[in-house]
Amino acid sequence: MSVMVLRNSSRNEPGLFLAGVLALLVHVVFAVFMFFGLNWKSLPPEGLVVDLWQDWSQPVQPVVKQPPLKKEPVPSEPAQQPKPTQQFVQEKSPLPEIASSPPPKKPDIVRKEKSEKPEPVTAKEPPQETQRKHELEKREERELEKQRKKEEAVIAEAKRLQREETLQRQREQEVLVAQREAQQAAERARIMDEIAKYRTMILAKVRSRIVMPPDLPGNPMTEFDVTLLPGGDILDVQLRRSSGYASFDSAVERAVFLSEPLPLPSNPALFKEFRNLNVTVHYHE
Amino acid sequence: MNATITQDMSLLHLISSASLPVQFVMLLLLVTSLLSWWFIFRKMFAIKHAVRQCNEFEDYFWRGADLNALYQRAGNAHYPGGSMERIFEAGFREFTKHQSNADLSVVMDGTRRAMRATFQREMDRLESHLSFLATVGSVSPYIGLFGTVWGIMNSFRGLSNVTQATIAHVAPGIAEALIATAMGLFAAIPAVIAYNRYASDTDQLATRYESFMEELSNVLQRRASE
Repeated sequence: MSVMVLRNSSRNEPGLFLAGVLALLVHVVFAVFMFFGLNWKSLPPEGLVVDLWQDWSQPVQPVVKQPPLKKEPVPSEPAQQPKPTQQFVQEKSPLPEIASSPPPKKPDIVRKEKSEKPEPVTAKEPPQETQRKHELEKREERELEKQRKKEEAVIAEAKRLQREETLQRQREQEVLVAQREAQQAAERARIMDEIAKYRTMILAKVRSRIVMPPDLPGNPMTEFDVTLLPGGDILDVQLRRSSGYASFDSAVERAVFLSEPLPLPSNPALFKEFRNLNVTVHYHE
Repeated sequence: MNATITQDMSLLHLISSASLPVQFVMLLLLVTSLLSWWFIFRKMFAIKHAVRQCNEFEDYFWRGADLNALYQRAGNAHYPGGSMERIFEAGFREFTKHQSNADLSVVMDGTRRAMRATFQREMDRLESHLSFLATVGSVSPYIGLFGTVWGIMNSFRGLSNVTQATIAHVAPGIAEALIATAMGLFAAIPAVIAYNRYASDTDQLATRYESFMEELSNVLQRRASE
């Protein structure tokens, strides 16, 4: 009997259904909180340091980009110009033809009228007509030749113009390229100057902080590889070539750390020249 | 409003774009979490109910009620008695069966055995499903971790084909993989807390039952020797 009661009671466990509903509710609430309560950023944050690095390459690019922009209108205009001349040629050529064809007809009619009047003299007429015909043909040929010459002249003129334009364009391009190269060279020279200036500044700063060990024989030289962070902080200093005197090496190393932050050019693009810096110090200057 | 919808979509997108094993792990963890929460609430109600019944019966018993009347009430199948009532009923029935026998120690031994048997059955019932909570608490983080490892493995494998590797290539894969770990922890933490809580609650109930058994056997012994 007790077993039956036990089974009964286990079957009548309180709140089976309610527990299920509550469990579902917990999950639904949690899911809603996750979906709507939290700020899920799907867009990356803007304003990265990388943008600053691109500032440098831009001044160089316009120089490269501008010439093609200037060049484009130049070829487009000449390309349009020759066409009108060719059109003129085409337009002109039919005109002379029309003008030339009526003259031979007119005399023809006039002469026919004339020839009809003196009918009895038939023997003399044929040579006259043939002569006239010859003359007409000659005239026509001459005129055709003139036309041909004119056309040839126009075409030659157009070709000459084209050639001149291409030559001019080439010259312009050469000038532009030269200008660009000169500009780039100047830029490079300026950069090299800047780099050299800051290198000497860094070396001077390091030198000023070296506490030289006294009385070293000769002129020993020590070389350090310094890894820099943007801003002039030192990430790592490694001895590349020892002078043979540990005291001198350590003095230079200490001086490098003491001269932190190292002077760096304000232009961040130049930093890559300074990231792995080689510091070479001689005992005697 | 629009913003919230796109954000919501991004999370859903992360889950839906996960690879099949990771999605399977997520589903498994969701089911586990649902089950464990169901058991958490069931056990909560059951233990509260048992404590209330225990309080009521102890009140009634120590107010000096007649043992025979109590036995009548406990034997009534329509009356929903608690565990303590059933222990009392089993002990008292054994005691009344043996009353003709003169040997007191034998009677008391039998009574104790009967009570202990019922006690163990009741404890078994109270502690049922607690092992499930313990299992969920200890295993579901590992299941989630498995999903995460698998997802990260996949996202790194995808990276091998790219010459210029950036964090943007792996970040979404890792994010979606980490959701599996989050789900595992979400299932595990409540399960562990509930398990510890309910284990101590059932322990308390067990000591109450045991002390009641001792006291009842004292009462019965006194009554038999009178």
